[in-house]
Amino acid sequence: MYPPVVFDEIECNGCNICVDICPMDIFGPNPVKGKPPIVLYGDECRYCGACWMRCARRKNHALRIVVPPAMRVSILRNVSTRRR
Amino acid sequence: MYPLGGDKTVSEQIQVVSIETDVLVIGGGLAGCMAAIKAVEHGVKVVIAEKANTENSGCAGTGIDHSWAYVPPVHEPLGYTFDDLMQDHIQGSSGGLVRKDLLRLVAGNNYSRMLDIEKFGVKMRYADSPLPGNLRIVPQFHSVPTSINFDGRYIKLRLTRQAKKRGVDIYNRVMVTELLTYDGEIAGALGVGIRDGNIYLFRANAIVLSTGRSNRMTRSASGPRHNLRVPAEDTGDGKAMALRAGVGVINMELLTGLWFNIGGNEINLGSPRNTTQPAGSITGVKGEVFVPRTRFYDWSRLGKEKINAADVRRQWIESRTGAFRDYFALRRQGKGPFFLDLTGGTEEEIQYAEWSISHEAKGYWWLDYLANQENFDFRTDKLEYLPNTRELSIAQAGGVVVDRNLETAVKGLYAAGDEVGGLPFSSSPGAFSMGWHSGDLAAQRAGRQNALPPVKEEPVAALKQLCLSMIDRKVGFHWTQLELAVQNIVDYYCGDERSENYLKRGLERLAQLRSETPLKAENPHELGRCLEVRSIIENAEMVIRASLERKESRKQPSRFTRADYPEQDDANYLCFLCQQKIDGEVKFSKIAV
Repeated sequence: MYPPVVFDEIECNGCNICVDICPMDIFGPNPVKGKPPIVLYGDECRYCGACWMRCARRKNHALRIVVPPAMRVSILRNVSTRRR
Repeated sequence: MYPLGGDKTVSEQIQVVSIETDVLVIGGGLAGCMAAIKAVEHGVKVVIAEKANTENSGCAGTGIDHSWAYVPPVHEPLGYTFDDLMQDHIQGSSGGLVRKDLLRLVAGNNYSRMLDIEKFGVKMRYADSPLPGNLRIVPQFHSVPTSINFDGRYIKLRLTRQAKKRGVDIYNRVMVTELLTYDGEIAGALGVGIRDGNIYLFRANAIVLSTGRSNRMTRSASGPRHNLRVPAEDTGDGKAMALRAGVGVINMELLTGLWFNIGGNEINLGSPRNTTQPAGSITGVKGEVFVPRTRFYDWSRLGKEKINAADVRRQWIESRTGAFRDYFALRRQGKGPFFLDLTGGTEEEIQYAEWSISHEAKGYWWLDYLANQENFDFRTDKLEYLPNTRELSIAQAGGVVVDRNLETAVKGLYAAGDEVGGLPFSSSPGAFSMGWHSGDLAAQRAGRQNALPPVKEEPVAALKQLCLSMIDRKVGFHWTQLELAVQNIVDYYCGDERSENYLKRGLERLAQLRSETPLKAENPHELGRCLEVRSIIENAEMVIRASLERKESRKQPSRFTRADYPEQDDANYLCFLCQQKIDGEVKFSKIAV
């Protein structure tokens, strides 16, 4: 399956904090030090965002959570004439 | 981790790791961390065993933004007494089905616990607040505002650091599955390392059981396996092992049906009266209003004029009676679709809701997802309400039976938080207050003991054998296959409307499934998941048995529907139905409210 979490090979420095704290234990450390973790159990992700919250490099998109279609919210857009 | 290769058999690879402690806390969520933090003040050795990592585990793993409390500096000048809060909670929040002694403990202590949490580094005072102490307090569970809103995003990290600073030992990735007793008293517990595959034998003089809610008994409403509003790692392990150890469990029959909330990502925004207040409303495609918006509470009277609390309570209870929106019934009438709508909010109101969401579980990441992946803005867009997964939580208050001091029928075994049955809307106040109190008492008990009670060899050998049977098996099913089959049974035979023949058939099919489905685990991770499925089955059995026992229907908040007993019967059933193993058989008894 398309993994729930995608790492950027350059931005992620392999600190493995996401591996340490994931409540569902879906990650394993990369055998190569400094490389991004491996998603071992992608279908067990609970999309809590803990990995994203704890990632020191999330602003550089070192880690991105990808929401599967069945979990996307359903939006009714632009119902108000208010400007953003 | 096995297989390690080489010439060692799996059996030889599995070590038994022995840990001796004064107090063992099983489950490192809000309740467990508070229990450990308090217990260690007594100078005793304290260990937390947690199946995930305490920094981000449980219901508050990715944050919490609210906790209700009686706040004297605000409520006394308002003219709202402690007894008013008790009455609100008994009559309104619980519909009478409530342990008043536990309510008194929680309601009487949570403000003090919030002050402790503030000392641990959680911000809860804001310069723009009109309230004494600069707290932000909103209406949510009672007739007047009692919910403190705060910066709880990293609360588990703060609690973990506080626990470690005080000298608590934390064993993460250890799933406890068995309680050990000696002569009717607690002696320890057994667990499995879900990364190292070892058996963990804990010996303790006092245990606090705090493993939280029982999830995954039913299918995720949206499909993706662990897309739940509540933590998928919480599988009712505590209730399962407590029942096996001879402890009573109540309210399991109150497992809900599907219910409407944000669709897609299941997230704890609740009704518009919760995290998205006051601008949150529920409207339809053409703007028709199903649930109107509210306003920030008018605090201008504070210190000038007291409320008439009895009148306010009466109006609140009357409004609650009609407040529950049966969205399925509305849909059958052709009404809807339904949308969470904040577009009528002021900028200040929307920013308040966004702040609140950003501190609530999953909320911080979810807001980033909404903005950057969906290009969503609360100011102009609406979010659809869709069916969410069934739960045993909050109003349902399913859990173990404890006395007024949180001790179970097994001496030295305490319980705290959502592990405990009988307090609707216990949630974080229950976790903080019961956690603290049980940790205090557990440590005092441990301090009185001279030695650790003995533990027998047989349970250790039995657990090792159980693990080996799943690892060594050549052919067996993946844990997901059994879990799905169990969920099918609970959803069909124990659904929204239950009746005797269906419930009995459900129990029979569960028993058959359990005995005819050998599980295969390839590694410690899968072994942990297999053991979770065992907990799920045991919790599902509790739900179906209790549903058979409750021969009535009950209205909100403890909603329960028997097609064969459609009337509410307070004379016989305004009570807790307790299931307990006596001489190897599960028996029921009634516990008066």
